[in-house]
Amino acid sequence: MKSSIQIYKEVESQKTIITSISGSGTKSPEEFLRALDKFGIEWYVTEKGTLMIKYWQIGSEDFVSPERAAIIRSDRPSPEQGDELDWLSKNLPNVRGRYSGQWIAVYSNEIVAAAPDLPDLIGQISGFERPLITFIPAEPVVWTFTYAS
Amino acid sequence: MLVKNFEQVVRFYEARQDPSGPSIWLPLVNVTLVTPANSRVSLPLLFDTGASVTTLRADLHPILGLQSWDQGIRVETDTAGGRTVVYRYTYTLEIFGKTIDCPIHLASQLPYHPLFVGLLGRDTVFNEFGFGFWESTHELYLTQSP
Repeated sequence: MKSSIQIYKEVESQKTIITSISGSGTKSPEEFLRALDKFGIEWYVTEKGTLMIKYWQIGSEDFVSPERAAIIRSDRPSPEQGDELDWLSKNLPNVRGRYSGQWIAVYSNEIVAAAPDLPDLIGQISGFERPLITFIPAEPVVWTFTYAS
Repeated sequence: MLVKNFEQVVRFYEARQDPSGPSIWLPLVNVTLVTPANSRVSLPLLFDTGASVTTLRADLHPILGLQSWDQGIRVETDTAGGRTVVYRYTYTLEIFGKTIDCPIHLASQLPYHPLFVGLLGRDTVFNEFGFGFWESTHELYLTQSP
């Protein structure tokens, strides 16, 4: 675990680097992001286009438009949101074993709610932003389609 | 020679019955539905160029703020399984960085699958984007300005 002095030094170091990048005449958001990568500073862009930088977690609102954010985020999703579909795909056998016949809500790579009825599930997920919702069937699933090999 | 440019990559996801069993790869898209209560939920949909309209399972109707699935406009439509009745609505979807008011069909005969709850169809949604499809790399390519 890092000491508070170590963390303070890291933050101060990052502040200095980011200040120097900001003042170095970078022309576009993509150039700015490449400069952050060059210095090993972790970042992500939210769906609304806010730039978030690790340690600081300072939001720079309107950094890019939502359309441009979607392009940037296709390579680097927000860590707090993750890719719930990827997580579900990789954990499907376990999820089917435990939640068959239920609606589930996945958020931040974990199942945060489950219920046999959708209205019950809806009542459990009001505190989550954009949870992924799907139904885990109890009966056998058709896994191949006419267009799948 | 015609050249098309795409700035986003949409990946396929693996569907596997059990850890040692065979798998298939599906083009799935996380679509954000803006509910009548103005909350947002993420619905995984199968990218389906064969679907004329985005279609959701009928039992999702509570999340759409509906008392029953058949309150909308009755539409008879042809599917791979034959002629069927669906009900048409309009909802707001957030997808690939755009917000779109989109026709949605509720259908009672969609097969169950744990990785998707409906089909992302062509009507309105596909007009906004251009797509390229590479099966061998398990990737879809997308542009916001076709």
